[in-house]
Amino acid sequence: MHTVISSSGTTSKAPRKKTKLKTVKLDASSEPPNKKLRTSAKPPVFGLIGSVPRPRPQGSLALSQQPSFLEPQTHRKDVKGKGKSVLPSVNQDDDRLWVDKYEPTIEADLAVHKRKVEDVRRWILEAFEGGPTGKLRKYRRILVLTGPAGTAKTTTVRVLAREMGFEIVEWRNSMSERGSSAFVDNSKDLGDDSWMDTEALFDKFQAFLTRASSCYNIFAASSAIPSTQSKSHRLQSLSQSSTISLPSTSSSQPSNRHLILLEDLPNILHLPTQARFHEALQSLCGSSESGPPVVIIISDSGLRGENAYDDNAWDGTGGARWSKKETIDVRSLLGADLSTSPYVTRIAFNPIAPTLMTKALQAMLANHFASTSGKAPTKDVVEMIVESSNGDIRSAVMALEFACIVTLTKSGGKGKTRRNTAGSGGARAVLEAVTRREQSLVLFHLMGKILYNKRKGDPPATHLSSRDAAKERELDETLLDPSPLPDWLSEHDRKASRVCLETIASDSPIDSSLLGLYIHQNYTMFCTDVDQCDGVCEGLSWVDCVGGHLPSTTPYAFPTLALSTLHALPTPVPRKGQKVCKPSWFDMRNKEQDALDGIGDVATWLGHGGASDEHAPGRWTHADVAIELGGWLRAVDRTGIAQLQVPRAHRLFSCLPWGSGGAGGDVLGEDECGEVHDVDGEGDVRVWGTLRDEEEVKGWWLESDDIEEA
Amino acid sequence: MSLWVDKFRPKTLDDLHYHQSLSTRLKSLAASADFPHMLFYGPSGAGKKTRISCTLRQLFGSGVEKLKIDQRVFISPSKRKLEINVVQSNFHIEITPSEAGNYDRVVIQDLLKEIAQTQQVDLNAKHRFKVVVINEADSLSRDAQAALRRTMEKYMSNMRIILCANSTSRLIAPIKSRCLLMRVAAPNPEEMQIVLEHVAKKLKFDLPEEASQQIAEDSGGNMRKALLVFEALKMQSPDLSGSLNIAKPDWETYCHKVADLIVQEQSPARVLEVRAKLYELLTHCIPPTIILKTIAERVVERVDEAIKADVMHWAAFYETRMRLGNKKIYHLEAWVVKVMSLYKHFMYNFDMADFE
Repeated sequence: MHTVISSSGTTSKAPRKKTKLKTVKLDASSEPPNKKLRTSAKPPVFGLIGSVPRPRPQGSLALSQQPSFLEPQTHRKDVKGKGKSVLPSVNQDDDRLWVDKYEPTIEADLAVHKRKVEDVRRWILEAFEGGPTGKLRKYRRILVLTGPAGTAKTTTVRVLAREMGFEIVEWRNSMSERGSSAFVDNSKDLGDDSWMDTEALFDKFQAFLTRASSCYNIFAASSAIPSTQSKSHRLQSLSQSSTISLPSTSSSQPSNRHLILLEDLPNILHLPTQARFHEALQSLCGSSESGPPVVIIISDSGLRGENAYDDNAWDGTGGARWSKKETIDVRSLLGADLSTSPYVTRIAFNPIAPTLMTKALQAMLANHFASTSGKAPTKDVVEMIVESSNGDIRSAVMALEFACIVTLTKSGGKGKTRRNTAGSGGARAVLEAVTRREQSLVLFHLMGKILYNKRKGDPPATHLSSRDAAKERELDETLLDPSPLPDWLSEHDRKASRVCLETIASDSPIDSSLLGLYIHQNYTMFCTDVDQCDGVCEGLSWVDCVGGHLPSTTPYAFPTLALSTLHALPTPVPRKGQKVCKPSWFDMRNKEQDALDGIGDVATWLGHGGASDEHAPGRWTHADVAIELGGWLRAVDRTGIAQLQVPRAHRLFSCLPWGSGGAGGDVLGEDECGEVHDVDGEGDVRVWGTLRDEEEVKGWWLESDDIEEA
Repeated sequence: MSLWVDKFRPKTLDDLHYHQSLSTRLKSLAASADFPHMLFYGPSGAGKKTRISCTLRQLFGSGVEKLKIDQRVFISPSKRKLEINVVQSNFHIEITPSEAGNYDRVVIQDLLKEIAQTQQVDLNAKHRFKVVVINEADSLSRDAQAALRRTMEKYMSNMRIILCANSTSRLIAPIKSRCLLMRVAAPNPEEMQIVLEHVAKKLKFDLPEEASQQIAEDSGGNMRKALLVFEALKMQSPDLSGSLNIAKPDWETYCHKVADLIVQEQSPARVLEVRAKLYELLTHCIPPTIILKTIAERVVERVDEAIKADVMHWAAFYETRMRLGNKKIYHLEAWVVKVMSLYKHFMYNFDMADFE
């Protein structure tokens, strides 16, 4: 028993497992499967690993010293860390996480939408071969893949590398020599860094770029096709996707094709580094067309309600600090010039659709349990994991792996009678710990508590069971009536609230600013009258303006907000089947940011003689552009004066039709958590994306006839 | 093809079409050795910036037109880096400190000190001093204005400051008293017509009298707006004849419709509807103060005399809060709800009185 626990003893759920095992110890049949599992599990899995070459070591070539000399270190660390976290007592080869172990190797296994993969594949093909006319190659220099974490951006590139037979050269920041990066400025100023024994981090990066773009791997033949297995994979894929003309030369001269992958970027938020990074990329674009294409991968970091870093950006009268951002996005990464240049293509990955993810997870389970004896988790479990993962396949796989480990110990001795009660309940509890359900339920309840505004003596709601109603009555007993108010304040007279402010404040998974957004999004449905709305709004407005310049972690904001809302809402709130929605503020914020970028584009365009003969920067403020230029821009659009080349992004702000604006917002489900993910499904086109795409299609540089002249 | 506003912008004081007395004054000021600090104020589109650049040219000659744009980095006390775009020539430097938000004081102090401590090296320069043009001076924070006040006296010998603002009411008194105030009033319709005709003549086509009249009246004293409208119209109907249909900017009609929504119905559902519209306006980068102002003006037109004052009072109230707060939508919506509540009560009482 102890061995079982230690071998699976992962993290938090150890006590629970112990008790469960105790109940079933007598069942003799339970031992053999466990043992068998622990001993026989390895060989098949080992075989699997052997057949699937680890992509990373393969990716990092002996091109530059940097990656090759780093690789062993990180590799070893990987093994150690993972060994600790998963199964400490088993064989070294078995202890990789599922995420790594079952990383897709062929396109069919990818959970990404086919079209996205196709987009990437086409780009890469064009980068290597130049598209149908062979002239596009010049413009396929940089591909930027964006999307939330865990949407298989990197994996797609790796899979395509395997299928199409090119190599990936990847840059990694080295942490061991981090100390030297602090001297980047100094060394630049001195112009001579020979006094230091290591070169600055960014210098290494630059060296890496130049080497990677000008050198080829001499061992290519051996490292590109490391095993027969992957060859067969490729053959398989060749036959699968016969419509696509795969490079026919892939086997004869694979060394010619490599691609630079930048995922672990230098510190872009440091301004001098950023400037040098831009320079480096620009020189890559400008150089002759022989260099390899560059793929940059950026994970979108979600926007929180809390950080006010650019809340003041638009301060009413004028200037917007649009140029200054503290998150990494395409603009800050590539610089304004490059991000709109024809050399850069951007493909945005969406969160993985539930159906695709379920399929992928099922396939993975089938794969896993084909080689391992054990019981696969039920469909419900998979579904639950998929639901709670919010389109993040990495976290889903992690959760699934964890869920499987737990079920293994449980299945070791499942009492027949207890199965329904304790067993499924346990699974539920475990899953709730694995997934994010627990935390999100709290948010759901929090919103319910505040918005339904129950007070002492309210008649029990119809859907409540008698037991709950009794509980409510009990609670009422303990509540003290507030002392009566004088006549002139009688309008503020309320019954004692059933909501315990201290509890909800301490249990709340969200901070006051996010709470404000949630209340703001939803309060109207819970009001019966405009006066009540007035009260809620006034509270929101007041808290926002008082907390404006203080750090919003101020302890008073949360209670003030909750109390003012409770005070203003009707009591009891009539139940009309209200659905709590997630705040749409974030979407709006993003849209506004895009529009601001558009304004920035137009303003620079005006300054750089786009519309005037002279070079007159700084004549147009952003506010002027937004307010007064709209009509003119639309007129330009309507008449279609081609030679003007107004930045197309202007449509983001210049056109404002009176339509049914998106009022809604996603409904907050019971299983949502407070984090904000902008989940837009596959096929959902974002304005920005379309505009950029359009630009690409209609822009002057893609007319294949005049490309050579251009 | 180019933006007419920029193309036909007057370059010298003599080219200016209206406010001749102002031009002569500026000219004589520029001629005297004793050029003061100045504050240009007036409504937008009246020609403040044009007059400033003309004055600079009068002061230093055509050298001021050789502009370059620089990105300067300032470091705030909390070690945050601020990037500000600075437009400069050899003789002057132009900044918009409000781009730095709350940290405008740092920008003002650092930049002014730097300029003040360097002498003009060009021996051929007509004047020993450099000029600093500060745009949007009325959105400077109190701190920045206080910082400005001291530097204005201290570095008088090699620096002059020209402030440009929409109104003087947000500037502190010490600054106003240190500057020579120049009010640039909005041109009247006749003056605007002259400008429009001048542009038409330059472009060699005929501008019908009624068309120019209509454009001038419609633009409400905003020359920039008038020229943009003119150009847009010309693009659409090259002969400019017949009845012109001058469309208001999208956002303005949008705001008016929002105001109508508010007056039509007062209910929580309508609040939700209005919010969606407000969001739409905000995502098109219309400054919230302008949204509030436009909607409020329209609402005032449509409600009874008795509550007009209240509507404006609350608009002012929530505008203040908007400046203090972070999330504009809260305050816009709070105002909308307040107005709805006011209106509803007013109508309700009205009905009751009628009933009795």
